[in-house]
Amino acid sequence: MGNNLTEIIYNVSALIALGAMVTAFLRMIIGPTIADRAVALDAMTLVTISLIAFLTLLLQRKVYLDVAIVYALISFLGVIAVARFLDKGL
Amino acid sequence: MIMVSFYILGIIILLAAILAIYARNIVTAIISTGVISLLVSILFLLLAAPDVAMTEAAIGSGLTTMVFLYAYNRIRRIRERNDG
Repeated sequence: MGNNLTEIIYNVSALIALGAMVTAFLRMIIGPTIADRAVALDAMTLVTISLIAFLTLLLQRKVYLDVAIVYALISFLGVIAVARFLDKGL
Repeated sequence: MIMVSFYILGIIILLAAILAIYARNIVTAIISTGVISLLVSILFLLLAAPDVAMTEAAIGSGLTTMVFLYAYNRIRRIRERNDG
């Protein structure tokens, strides 16, 4: 975190990511059907991956990017399971 | 900014836990459990434990949701067969 502009950009991007997560979670709370909640889970997964990449930049640790890669590879399984369950049963 | 992330993620985790307990639909509770493990992995990452976060992401969000849905589907099918 070098100069002032970098800090401002980091703060604004983190606030945008957290706001997106809160909005997706509101859809998860009030969503009438299960499909709404599955889409909200998918959106929260994407926001989580971007937030982990942001933490990699903020804390300057390259190990955290491996977590984001593993998460991006694994996380589609839950949404696929819910979609398959809604279609004809797992 | 780290502390703001802590507070917001903690509040969302608490609300997701309450939703998982009090939801009438079981699939809603299962998805909410997936959300809890999703956000707990970010908290592990903020607490400087990336290996724990990786394990939590792989097992908690991927495998547990699939196993729970599979078990619920089996229960539903057995119940339909007993009724019909």
